[in-house]
Amino acid sequence: MLEIAGLVVLGLVAGIIAAALGLGGGIVFVPVLVVVFGFDQHIAQGTSLAVIFPTAIMATLAHTRMGNVRWQLAIPIGLAGIAGALIGAQVALQLDADLLRRLFGLFLIVLAARMVWHAWRVSDRSAPTPDPS
Amino acid sequence: MSSALLKAIALGAVAGIVAGLFGVGGGVIVVPGLVLWLALTQREASGTSTATIVASSAAAMATFGISGSIDWRAAGLVLVGSVVGAWIGAWIAERMNERLLAIAFALVLAIAGIRMVL
Repeated sequence: MLEIAGLVVLGLVAGIIAAALGLGGGIVFVPVLVVVFGFDQHIAQGTSLAVIFPTAIMATLAHTRMGNVRWQLAIPIGLAGIAGALIGAQVALQLDADLLRRLFGLFLIVLAARMVWHAWRVSDRSAPTPDPS
Repeated sequence: MSSALLKAIALGAVAGIVAGLFGVGGGVIVVPGLVLWLALTQREASGTSTATIVASSAAAMATFGISGSIDWRAAGLVLVGSVVGAWIGAWIAERMNERLLAIAFALVLAIAGIRMVL
């Protein structure tokens, strides 16, 4: 029962972060399933994908209605993405769970550094610039 | 082939590999790629990225599913929460300092990342 409530709360928090910051849920689902719920790294990643797929369909319908999808780019990116994803998933399944978890941890650290750098840069731009005259 | 098409294919391939390898959507690669490389607005980049994630996440999910690496019950529960969460998040996004939220979240990510590496 506690686990059921915990998983729904994980979805809730990830959904809030994803919508508020414009990020996908995967970078929240995977670490929480591993660190908090003790999932094996491979099961955490597969489960994350099973949540992302229906979420992406719903988000795409909403974006299509708002006219935000450039299909002439989305189609080639998506087709190349299928090929890449098949390769990436095969590699992930061949890797030892410990190694995959460590690689994922490095990926998170790089993303965190990029987010902080980006937030800094935006703040520099919004600071008042000295008048050249 | 036009250079935009070549860029799109390269971007899709890299994002797909990351999505399959790490079980994420790949938006962290596609969105900045569309903005910086293909000159889309942030809004168009978000919309176009979600459409590409439908394709790449389906391929990666099928591969993990066939190997028995999906906990479908957990996925269903997380999905229920995230549908409600997305709705709350959209409400919060209009009322909160996004930079502060981004930096706070980045710190949590970094801590989780360090724990996973160790």
